[in-house]
Amino acid sequence: MSSLAYGLRARARSSRIPAAWRQPLAIAGTVIAFAWIVIAVFAPLIAPSNPLAQSFPASESPSLHHLFGTDELGRDVLSRVIYGSRVSLPIALALVAIAATIGSIVGAVAGYFRGFVDGILMRSTDLVFAFPPIILAMVVAAVLGRGLFNAALAIVVVAWPSYARIVRGLVLSVGDSEYVQSARLLGASSRRALVRDVLPNVIGPVFVLATLDLANAILLLSGLSFLGLGAQPPQAEWGSMVAEGTQYFQWWWIGTFPGLAIFTVVLAFNFLGDSLRDVFDPRTARRAVESDA
Amino acid sequence: MRRWKWLALVAAAGILASAAAAFGATAHHTAGATLVVDNSFTIKTSDPQRAFDPTASIIDRALYDTLFTYKGGDLANPIPLLVSSWKATNGAKTFTFQLKKNVHFANGTPLTSKDVVFSFNRLVNIKGNPAFLLAGVKVKAAGKYGVVMTSATPDTELPAILANPSTGIVNSALVKAHGGTSAANASTADKAETWLNTPASAGAGSGPYVLKSFSTTSQVVLAPNAKYWGPKKPGFSTVVVRNMIATTQLINVQRGTHEIAIDLAADQATGLQGNSKLHVSLQPSTWVFWLFANNDPKVSSVTSNEQWQQAVRYALDYKSILSVAGPGAIQAPGLIPSMFLGSLPQKDAVKQDVAKAKAALAASGQGSQQVTLQYPSDLTINGVPFTTMAEKVQANLQAEGFNIQLSGSPTSNWLTAYRSGQMAFGLSLWGPDYPDPADYLTFAPGQLVGLRAGWAKGADPAIEKLAAKALVTTNAAQRKAIYQQFQHDLNESGPYFPLMQPTQVFVSTSDLKNAVFNAEYDVDVTQVSPK
Repeated sequence: MSSLAYGLRARARSSRIPAAWRQPLAIAGTVIAFAWIVIAVFAPLIAPSNPLAQSFPASESPSLHHLFGTDELGRDVLSRVIYGSRVSLPIALALVAIAATIGSIVGAVAGYFRGFVDGILMRSTDLVFAFPPIILAMVVAAVLGRGLFNAALAIVVVAWPSYARIVRGLVLSVGDSEYVQSARLLGASSRRALVRDVLPNVIGPVFVLATLDLANAILLLSGLSFLGLGAQPPQAEWGSMVAEGTQYFQWWWIGTFPGLAIFTVVLAFNFLGDSLRDVFDPRTARRAVESDA
Repeated sequence: MRRWKWLALVAAAGILASAAAAFGATAHHTAGATLVVDNSFTIKTSDPQRAFDPTASIIDRALYDTLFTYKGGDLANPIPLLVSSWKATNGAKTFTFQLKKNVHFANGTPLTSKDVVFSFNRLVNIKGNPAFLLAGVKVKAAGKYGVVMTSATPDTELPAILANPSTGIVNSALVKAHGGTSAANASTADKAETWLNTPASAGAGSGPYVLKSFSTTSQVVLAPNAKYWGPKKPGFSTVVVRNMIATTQLINVQRGTHEIAIDLAADQATGLQGNSKLHVSLQPSTWVFWLFANNDPKVSSVTSNEQWQQAVRYALDYKSILSVAGPGAIQAPGLIPSMFLGSLPQKDAVKQDVAKAKAALAASGQGSQQVTLQYPSDLTINGVPFTTMAEKVQANLQAEGFNIQLSGSPTSNWLTAYRSGQMAFGLSLWGPDYPDPADYLTFAPGQLVGLRAGWAKGADPAIEKLAAKALVTTNAAQRKAIYQQFQHDLNESGPYFPLMQPTQVFVSTSDLKNAVFNAEYDVDVTQVSPK
């Protein structure tokens, strides 16, 4: 568990990777992420067998017949990994979208109206920030009860404050700019100013954060399932498959392949997010062009 | 700077010396053989009247003789150890034991009825974990070597209980001299535990071995009792019970001599089966996995449906369920494990019958109803995780047209729900409190487990009558017949579905004689000797 929490913190956020290396990473990230999305969409066509079908004898090592081997109940690990993408990816996408929406609204309202409203909203985000994400998600998931839906809800609870904080900062700075002030003077409503003038300036950074957060969401979801709070058996979910693998270390393939799936997806979205940030940030975008030249 | 170097050297020498000492247990067997038992420790104390853990059982069996004991791995027939003759009267409510007259403790004091009375009263009055064994049983001396035990209810399982190491007989005079008491306030007044956990307590028991050193975390060392009363002298000059995790046990037992490993998983053990220097035993464990369907229509109109229960019974693919546990596991033919008196033979086990199951499910009219199977998701017994077992059961039942959802929860939460009697469909297990079929009468209607499965008193008068009869019958052959009938009836119309007994692994080096697993003692080191 500690290694999970560590993994969450140690995500590749740094810009220590030299700029010249960023483009290949972006391409790798895009390719892997796209490949996983294709796998998730066409899972029934790609998977060699039913992920829930048990066979006997069980726990067969990887072979031509079962590329990733079979688990302790004789289920095909490859098929389970493929079907696992149908759980992790859509849920992560949906809950990041929800978290980004909630966080952005809260941040925009706080940044635009400032004063008392700002104080209330930002202190409540601070309250969420005060807890380590995995611990808070565990508490929420445990209180709501086991299951994927509740685990996703728990992750939304953990994820929205970072959007609120970013959007608030951006709205504060954009709100002070002259074109917004002029629009207000010309009689534009708060809502119109927010939507027409502020939003387009904010959407880029939020999009970057959301891409990076996708990786986090998948990790958190797998983590909660690993702890038994997320997906319930017999559903094929990467985190719970890794947890099953820990019960049978002698059959390394049961836990290794779903672990690799988590690894590649998280890495891909991190690469993608990093590259997107470089594109949206005028300073790094320029630097990248300069070093390319 | 130079001083530091010296310190480092001294420290290194110290580490080497202690490492040598640690290996000494296996390396030195010139001055008489040393038996090494590797075990993942579960021990809090060696005080027999306080201890109720597997590791403590290994040690206390060697230190303190009991009225009865078992031979080898058998648990069906308690055999007299300190007792020369005994009889049960008054409908198994009164037991009279005559003690052997040649028994004495390790310090030479004769063992008499007052020691037995003291030990049993101390057991009950300390109110520790094993106190329930003799709860409600009154004990009194009848002369120097006679002991009379009475209880308000029939107590046919008494001889089996009196083989438990917690009923080991201590030297009353010596224990009293070191703060021990058997008075009603013994739970606070008894101060003998610390002393009993030191080698100074050597005269407290009459067993073939005495305590040489004691630690609850690293190892317990036993030395022979020079004055042992029995005909067979202790087989080893030293017995070391060491705390080791399974992976280390696996390495140790392969290179050891006179060594036993208790905690290996079935698949670790199968890797050793070709090794001629080792004896690998994979045998059914005393644990029994079973399903229950709540019989109370208020809890669930589906699971209480008799036809639905029949459908579950015949839909389960018992053979494929065994595959979850690996080699050595067997289908549980009834709730009473195979090594106990009154267990059913394998041929009497319920067999899968898909046609019968489908017909019953159709007759129940509940096939489409969703039922949630609840299980403790963090529990693993003999290498079998409950989650895997639950998934297996679900796949079995879904294949025959049931609609089963799984719901795992932490063991503590699951236990609360299970004990409340409100769980509709559950995966559970039972491990014996003592190796006697009487422990399984708790499954009858209106009894502890019966109520958990929504099976109230009066729900099945025939089975209840049988259970009542089992309670008062003392003749072994009659008991066997009654308990078998009890299980046949449960298998026909009870709300329980016995699944399997997982694998108990026991590995010993082949230079040992009589090294076998015994569910009561793990291993009875007093019976083991070098070849």
